[in-house]
Amino acid sequence: MNRVRNFKLFLWALLGLGAAVGTARFMFGLGATTNLSDAVPWGLWIGFDVMSGVALAAGGFVLTATVYIFRLERFHGIVRAAVLTAFLGYVAVAVGLLFDLGLPWNIWHMIIFWNPHSPLFEVGWCVMLYLTVLLLEFFPVPAESFSGLAKVRNFLVKLRLPLVIAGISLSTLHQSSLGSLFLIMPYHVHPLWYSPILPVIFFLSAIALGLMMVTFEGLISSYLYRRAPETDILAKLGAAARWVLLLYLGVRFTDLAARGQLGHLADGGWQVTLFWMEIALSAAIPAALLFIPRVRHSLAGLWIVAPMAVTGIVFNRINVGGLVHQQRGETLYLPAWTEIAISAAVVAAAALAFLYFVEKFHVWERRPQDPEAAPAALPRFDVASFASLGSPLVRSRTLYSLAFVFAAAFGFSLLSGEALSSRGVDPAPVEEARGGDTLWIDGNLDGFGTAFAHRRHVERLGGDSTSCALCHHLNVPRDRQSGCYSCHRDMYSVSDAFGHDRHASPAGAALGCFDCHAPDAVKSAQSAKECADCHKDLIPAGAVIEVEDYQAAGYTEAMHQVCLGCHQQQAEAVEKPDLPRCGTCHREHKLLVDDPLLAQRYQRLESRGVIVPEVLEEHFQGIRLAALPQEPVTQIDEP
Amino acid sequence: MKAILTDTTLCIGCRDCVVACRKANALEPEVPRRWETRDGLSARNWTSIVERPGPVYVRKQCRHCLEPACASACPVGALRRTPEGAVVYDGSKCMGCRYCMMACPYGIPRYDWDLAVPYVRKCILCYDRLKEGKQPACTEICPTEATIFGDREALLQEARRRIRENPGRYADKIWGETEVGGTSVFYISDADLSFLTRGRELAQTPMPAHTASAMHAVPFAFFGMAATMAGISWIIGRRMDLQQKSPEDKKDDDHE
Amino acid sequence: MQAWIEFGQGPLFRFAFVLMALGLARIFVLTLVNVAEAYRRNPDKIINYREVFNKTVAWFIPAGRLWRKRPVYSLVSFLFHAGLILVPLFLAAHVSLWRQSTGFGWFSLPQGLADALTLIALAGALILFLMRAFYAPARALSRRQDYAWPLLLAVPFLTGYLMVNVSVSASGYQWMMLLHLYSAALIMILIPFTKIAHCILAPLSQVVTAVSWKFPAGAGDRVLETLGLEDRPTWVDKPRLGIEREMTRELPEVKPAEKEAKAS
Repeated sequence: MNRVRNFKLFLWALLGLGAAVGTARFMFGLGATTNLSDAVPWGLWIGFDVMSGVALAAGGFVLTATVYIFRLERFHGIVRAAVLTAFLGYVAVAVGLLFDLGLPWNIWHMIIFWNPHSPLFEVGWCVMLYLTVLLLEFFPVPAESFSGLAKVRNFLVKLRLPLVIAGISLSTLHQSSLGSLFLIMPYHVHPLWYSPILPVIFFLSAIALGLMMVTFEGLISSYLYRRAPETDILAKLGAAARWVLLLYLGVRFTDLAARGQLGHLADGGWQVTLFWMEIALSAAIPAALLFIPRVRHSLAGLWIVAPMAVTGIVFNRINVGGLVHQQRGETLYLPAWTEIAISAAVVAAAALAFLYFVEKFHVWERRPQDPEAAPAALPRFDVASFASLGSPLVRSRTLYSLAFVFAAAFGFSLLSGEALSSRGVDPAPVEEARGGDTLWIDGNLDGFGTAFAHRRHVERLGGDSTSCALCHHLNVPRDRQSGCYSCHRDMYSVSDAFGHDRHASPAGAALGCFDCHAPDAVKSAQSAKECADCHKDLIPAGAVIEVEDYQAAGYTEAMHQVCLGCHQQQAEAVEKPDLPRCGTCHREHKLLVDDPLLAQRYQRLESRGVIVPEVLEEHFQGIRLAALPQEPVTQIDEP
Repeated sequence: MKAILTDTTLCIGCRDCVVACRKANALEPEVPRRWETRDGLSARNWTSIVERPGPVYVRKQCRHCLEPACASACPVGALRRTPEGAVVYDGSKCMGCRYCMMACPYGIPRYDWDLAVPYVRKCILCYDRLKEGKQPACTEICPTEATIFGDREALLQEARRRIRENPGRYADKIWGETEVGGTSVFYISDADLSFLTRGRELAQTPMPAHTASAMHAVPFAFFGMAATMAGISWIIGRRMDLQQKSPEDKKDDDHE
Repeated sequence: MQAWIEFGQGPLFRFAFVLMALGLARIFVLTLVNVAEAYRRNPDKIINYREVFNKTVAWFIPAGRLWRKRPVYSLVSFLFHAGLILVPLFLAAHVSLWRQSTGFGWFSLPQGLADALTLIALAGALILFLMRAFYAPARALSRRQDYAWPLLLAVPFLTGYLMVNVSVSASGYQWMMLLHLYSAALIMILIPFTKIAHCILAPLSQVVTAVSWKFPAGAGDRVLETLGLEDRPTWVDKPRLGIEREMTRELPEVKPAEKEAKAS
């Protein structure tokens, strides 16, 4: 078993999946590939990729401060890895942000369009600058391998102290400013999390997370490369982290008490459960465990504490980032698998880059042995097994690209057209006419609609199938250019208006291929007969609505157009002037309240020719829905 | 400074304003989508009629705050408030971070979720019409004058007059007069309109003030931290130099 | 049944198509990388690229040496490939499906020409299969997959032709559609991992030989000339196969005049 190779295979597969989803993201937009909505504009990509990503990379500034400012030389062995993690972490943040931004190609606008009032502006600038600082801090490491770069390297090494100080200051700013981002949402963020000192809380937890993340990363890499972990150094990190975590806990609860929000802890909502889970995972349990020397100095103990604290503080970022925003979402936001795939792919790319640097340059004191290093095998040159010259590099290339390609293809197979179009309405099979007796027409689903006496209307309009067409299918009358499929896009699947199979099946019309498709032409939608060729009465000659354009109207408008046009004509025909007025259909209409002020306005409006519903007591008193269907028709029948 | 006063007791819920808005701003027709919200606002509906029990019809639109949270939050200044009072949006600056949507206390801005090149969408008080000296399309079309356009002060006085002269007809409150520093779109009503802010009372503090103190601390934090670090580095460096001169004085200076 | 067809049109098709596209790109890049690596390792870096290029182009034109030696095979093979490539890419029905689902469409063949090309491809597949099965030198060089490929490639062409041109019952149509979709998906999945990968590797074949193995172009002929065996085919090891007698009967004679022309 080869740990590194298997791990890399897994990472490459994640990358492949992300490539597929990323393509869809940029082709079809955010709605197609995320569960974000107008109610939840920020999701996993901000909460995890950006907010947690920045916090996870805090190890860089914490360790450079420890080694280069406080001169604790014993940590020197891990400072390079910490700076590399920070650098790759920030690159990952930037890449993750590119997926989340609606217009990522405008990200450079932050450089030229300034709004210094915005915390996000400050975060953006700090991240940009800190990324540069990290690049300069890390650059001497790869530069060691190139003798031509010796001058640059020496210069950067001399610059180290100013760079480190700049890095620490910039980190202080943006780690805390990520908290400031949420200060402008006092009415959204739950009071257990919202605090004027969110910046301070974020900064403290970032330091703790930085220490824990360096520990975690040391554990993982020593596992992967079968190195002996630097347990004593990691124990020292843990010893420092326990005090930071304790301080963090103290600040959190003092802040709650000072703001008088401790009472919320007794509320018992799901947010409170979340709060305790977060506190336990991020600080309480790790701090308690780290106070036990045996845990601190044992590998197993660190394997428990470090991942727990990392998870907990990431959890905190996700909570503040949107999970505990009150009533932000009318529906619960859970990240779509596509969102998770992108986040995982960004992390995988950073991890692969980390492993590359570690294997290629002196990030650690001892470079890990290439696990694939084996005597070169004989070259093979067969297309089926690929041109392999036997070098381990080539073999792993072959393997990793295979994982990538398969995962990408798998990802594409999961991205269905229906999901990408983000339609809110499921296409329904229209095999039988679905006309009911009474329809409750309420497109907005807010309870303010009308009970529509469907059957009565059908009867009144003739009672046969031609009467359907007087209201339905009116927007494209006799338009030979655009077939049914031009609106009903999915008509050639089983769903929606046209059931291809039903037409072919004995239960339907039992048609053969050439009953509809011309024998010498391609069997496509275009070459098929129009629906109206068989369904002669689909669109009547006397269609009521004048077509203005070929775009569908909004629901409310459409209903009003269809009903009102007919009602206005009928009002004259049956000499019933009330017919086109609001109260005829909307029985519960508020306007029926007798109000002198309103009445005055209505009179003025009526003098201008606007139809205003009449105030009729019986229209709204004591009417039950069950009785409603009778009403409109009775009314029409009375001349 | 211009403003809109909406009197929900006069609104008959005809939605002419919605249609007029759509025509004036050349918005595409609405299609049902996964992300549609119950208040009816969307990237293609910049104003909507919310029907509340009663029924009471409340026209929802951007409130055009006097000190808008969105404009303060936008990192590239794509949103700004004009002297006329409209909060307008410049899509050519926007980078799509959606911080404005997170920051708005009324939850107004909407997004083109279905487009590969999306923009933030909200009412801009028909700013182009405003510059031509015309009023917004919605107030112009309103058949019952339930929503009217004018100078903010004049409309506030009109609102106060209606409340004063029709005792019992209105709740004694002008929604948007002072909260979050005041808005240019405000309401009088007989019903409780706190649903517009998710049931929470908004304080009078303008939204930008919430982040201002943290933002003011930025330069101090930066230079303070830099100076502290430089100082510590110098002190420790000097101590280590001294220790090297007198090795018998060596002691461990890190804490365990 | 309909659900299976939709699976074949949707997820399965996307999987197979993307796997084919990325898989081919992958082996193309891998081959280039390997060639570069071989070049780096090789101390002798003198390669006649002009000759390599000429040879590569020559293999794409059905008028070279093979045409003179095995005209039937050469012609059938060329027509078979033409149908194989043109029909799936430019069939009007396929193009309109692309246009419907992605918004992009392109030039399409007239239905009559497409039908003719389909029949040619089908006939070509059959002839190539028979030649492989009954022509001893070819049989000696064939692996199992070499027999399977012409047959497998014929399945979507046959079903596609029947669906368009023969009136069948609704259920018969569905069965054929199912077979069409799934066989096509199987082909696309297999392409980058089998010898059909030559569809993208063919332009590299001469470079790979020249660089990786350092065989100068035309080396085989020169070796034969040196050995005085110019009139023997270079593409089969006669003594090992023990079929010299059959071959001399079947192979067309190489005329001295032609040989000289080629040498100059």
